[in-house]
Amino acid sequence: MRNIKTRLLVALFAAAALGWAAHTAAPAGANAQRPSAGFDTYAITNARVVTVSGPTIERGTVVVRDGLIAAVGAGVAAPPDARAIDGTGLTVYPGLIDASTTLGIPRPTPTPGATPGGGGGGGFAGLFGQSQPSAVSPNSPQLPGLQPELLAADIIRPGGNEVEAARNAGITAAQTAPRGNVFLGQSAVINLAGDTPQGIIVRSPVALYVGLAPIGGGQYPGSLMGVFSAVRQMLLDAQRYREAQEIYERNPRGLRRPDQDKSLAALLPVLARQMPIVMQADRAREVERALDLAREFNVRLVINGGTESWQHAARLKAQDVPVLLSLNFPRRTAAASPDADPDPIRVLRERAEAPKTAGRLAAAGVRFAFQSGGMTTMSDFLSNASRAVEQGLSKDDAVRAMTIRAAEILGVQNQLGSIEVGKIANLTVTRGDLFDRTRRITHVFIDGRPVDLRPAATATGATSASGTWSLSVNLGGTQSESPQFQITLVLQQQGDRLTGSIQGPLGTSQGSGTLAGSDLSFTVPITLPGPGSQTTDAIFNGAITGNEMRGTVQVVGRGPGTFTGSRAGSPTPAPATPPGAQPSTPPGTRQPPPGGQPGQGEPQPRRTPTPATTPPAEQD
Amino acid sequence: MKRLTTLAICIALVNSWAGAGLAQTRTTGGQAAPPVTLIRNATILTVSHGTLQNSDLLIRNGKIAQVGQNLRAPDGARTIDATGKFVMPGIIDAHSHSMMDGSVNECTRSVTSMTRTQDILNPNDADLYRELAGGVTSLLLLHGSCNSIGGQSTTVKIKYGRPAADFLFPGAPPGIKFALGENPKRSNFNLPGLQARYPATRMGVEEVIRDAFTRARDYKLRWDEYRADSRSNKNLIPPRRDLELEPLVEILEGKRYVHAHCYRADEILMLIAVADEFGFKIRTFQHVLEGYKVAGEIARHGAGASTFADFWGYKMEAYDAIPYNAAVMTRRGVRVSINSDSDERARRLNIDAAKMVRYGGLSEEEALKLITLNPAWQLGIDERVGSIDVGKDADLAVWTAHPLSVYARVETTFVDGEIFFDRQTDLARRQQLEAERRTLEQAEANRPPAQGGTPPRTPPQIRRANTDHDDVIDGEEDNQR
Repeated sequence: MRNIKTRLLVALFAAAALGWAAHTAAPAGANAQRPSAGFDTYAITNARVVTVSGPTIERGTVVVRDGLIAAVGAGVAAPPDARAIDGTGLTVYPGLIDASTTLGIPRPTPTPGATPGGGGGGGFAGLFGQSQPSAVSPNSPQLPGLQPELLAADIIRPGGNEVEAARNAGITAAQTAPRGNVFLGQSAVINLAGDTPQGIIVRSPVALYVGLAPIGGGQYPGSLMGVFSAVRQMLLDAQRYREAQEIYERNPRGLRRPDQDKSLAALLPVLARQMPIVMQADRAREVERALDLAREFNVRLVINGGTESWQHAARLKAQDVPVLLSLNFPRRTAAASPDADPDPIRVLRERAEAPKTAGRLAAAGVRFAFQSGGMTTMSDFLSNASRAVEQGLSKDDAVRAMTIRAAEILGVQNQLGSIEVGKIANLTVTRGDLFDRTRRITHVFIDGRPVDLRPAATATGATSASGTWSLSVNLGGTQSESPQFQITLVLQQQGDRLTGSIQGPLGTSQGSGTLAGSDLSFTVPITLPGPGSQTTDAIFNGAITGNEMRGTVQVVGRGPGTFTGSRAGSPTPAPATPPGAQPSTPPGTRQPPPGGQPGQGEPQPRRTPTPATTPPAEQD
Repeated sequence: MKRLTTLAICIALVNSWAGAGLAQTRTTGGQAAPPVTLIRNATILTVSHGTLQNSDLLIRNGKIAQVGQNLRAPDGARTIDATGKFVMPGIIDAHSHSMMDGSVNECTRSVTSMTRTQDILNPNDADLYRELAGGVTSLLLLHGSCNSIGGQSTTVKIKYGRPAADFLFPGAPPGIKFALGENPKRSNFNLPGLQARYPATRMGVEEVIRDAFTRARDYKLRWDEYRADSRSNKNLIPPRRDLELEPLVEILEGKRYVHAHCYRADEILMLIAVADEFGFKIRTFQHVLEGYKVAGEIARHGAGASTFADFWGYKMEAYDAIPYNAAVMTRRGVRVSINSDSDERARRLNIDAAKMVRYGGLSEEEALKLITLNPAWQLGIDERVGSIDVGKDADLAVWTAHPLSVYARVETTFVDGEIFFDRQTDLARRQQLEAERRTLEQAEANRPPAQGGTPPRTPPQIRRANTDHDDVIDGEEDNQR
């Protein structure tokens, strides 16, 4: 399989395949941070082992060596050179897999030049709520957002708070796909620990993600209707591209040479049914549309989201379409305002019904795997899987949906998804049953190495943005005057919503934004000083690390700016602290992180697991 | 005495059938054939051949099987006593934007014939149920009026509760939206900062259409040449299939109906001239508020006209309208329909038709034709629906009074002989829904969280209510997005 694909997309795919080969074969020097051999062998003894591939071993040993599972069984003895972990009372599962994420994919930041021909228009489109594609393929004849040749493997970054939050929830591997509009690009399966993009990739490319978000900014397609037409036209163009290339290769004489088109070429494995497309479809009608499109072009389809997919279970089974089922179940997030209309009964039904989908798909014989669906609190992954179990899914099927079924759908069933000798040593170890609400994740092994699990405060991945921040803002631009501004930003966070205000030389105004993981996006009107001052929106995109934030700021009509900031005092969701209540910070200086807060205030932009010198202790 | 007994039996049957109707509306897909139905003793407004008093109507296999007096109900048939009630054909709305997800417009280009409203159908749109409750059974779902040549239309039967695929009207000819005047030239929709789109004048609109059909002619020529040459030469690369031009070739070949949004007399004449030049026909002029000025020309071209009853003055090009428009065009031989272009107005098209008796003196049957047989012809489905004739689809509504009366309301709506709306069933269901709501509100997912929690997915962007008049406010949202 891999070879066929590689031939079809030689240059792009070969690089990714090499990355994987380098990872498994580990040639000397490929990874300077590889730990010494002495720490590469572990044995978990006397544990309950849920192998998934075979019967559960009530009291057995799992031996991990050189990143692979070396032995598993009831009568297996721990090798003398192994670090032994007493697994009494523990259960070892195959490492959990999140079947669809954007882990490691950088968020789009508005920069001129990222949108060819857009000029200042790129930032302006951002004002109108259009997301910009995060990456652009050079020399593609297609617009950004319509470039299926983009590879997650080419833009992925290891580490980061979101990856860590996933690990803390017991997730060891994930499918990750580029963000974007229509043709998002090709996904990869990654392990959630490792220092290099090359080192974390398990398989690439895996599937072509097809989104249904209009491109916007005045570019076609600008509507859902247009998106379908654009997808249909590009698939037709790809069919003709294949035919034209074949005819030309057969006999070029007397034929005008067909243009090369890397975007259309990237669709050929899809048309040849070698690579599936993943389409976001939650509602029944969205599933129906995706099934229709797949049938129209005879392509392999994977449904992503799938909340109401059970309503088309018969068609899913007939067309052999698996579902990557979101565990981000809808639920009421706030008490109703007394002025608000009651929720429509449709919404009430959807919330109550969502956890039943998994059981219904299982009963209908539809293949499915669980995915996190963009949830901001990763501990919901297992607790919502438990809800699915309460609503009719067998525990066995639930475990499979997070392990071997995911591996099968993603084409990594020979590497991940079960505890079998020779597979990649990804393990999730719990005290208590995986679906028991009192269970704890005690150990996570990725590529045969234990991962540091963070205390619960950060294990939720809930970076707090609340607080008073001192920001140093550089608006860029070409003005000769110093474009540095010192402003105060007061943020209040509720869920992933941010509200707040700014004060300082850019005026006083209210704004709002979102926080996803540690990534912040905040829009607030600013008043540019100087003659002809005008008020215009500024979009702050950045990341929060502890009590530091940094990122870019986009203002209409100006080049990209940057900002850095630090938080005054501890992050509390309380209302804005009066300026006099805290010791004031001289503009432009960063406050030292306050002590006594584990997991906060570390200035490193990302944390990578350090090789454990001793087996990690259980954390409560 | 005998009549009394019959009445009692009828009442019992109505009650039991109401329960059956409930079960029916709640199941989806894969239905068995609907039962045979006998509607007894109704005033039947056939629309095609007058009014039948005290008549019966038998529905079998989803078709109108018999119309007459003293019809006998076969065993197992459900019988509806329609004494004092009126039966009329299902209303057909020739201009609707119901059940569409996302924008009704693809505004980025001046020719968007590659887009299809069929791709974004939302069978759960509650407006559909309200339309059934207004006696409407079929819709022409049109692309918006953002572009000189817009997207492909979809003709549907309102089978509320079924998957979108079940809505498609079998065998209905394909259609497409054109638009002239202020909307395609973006007179009222240019926002500062956004790039203006060609064309900006009525001259430009004409040029866009002319250019598109010139390209379509060339496209057809290229394919014809390829098909001829490829028989002898296997080493030819086929031309590109162009989803923008293919529907235009279908128009040139007379296979696709053009539904052209327009207002002013001059632009109507312009489009007729362009159509004549390229040798195709306009099936309907939509809105066509100045149609009364050029009714003869419209009739000579063979086009229909689909207009509003009395809605005008909402922009410059809608100032010269008169409520006599439908009547004047009817008298000049144009097949006229009254449309809604609105999920709200679609619920009471019968009243809009009634206004045409008041303004212009149409007969009652002529007025009813404006919302039944005439739009059926405009959509090319008049062989199947639009009147009460034996053999036609049983798309019907039972009204409590003459449907041109303001006191009339719909009791029961049939589509293909199946009940998709029934007032008594609806009233009975309301209590059930309240009970269901109380149960659902106790579910964990519907209780406010104590603290934190993952926010739900952001729902897909949904058009707000009352933004569906593509004449009035379309494009504003699109431009702002």
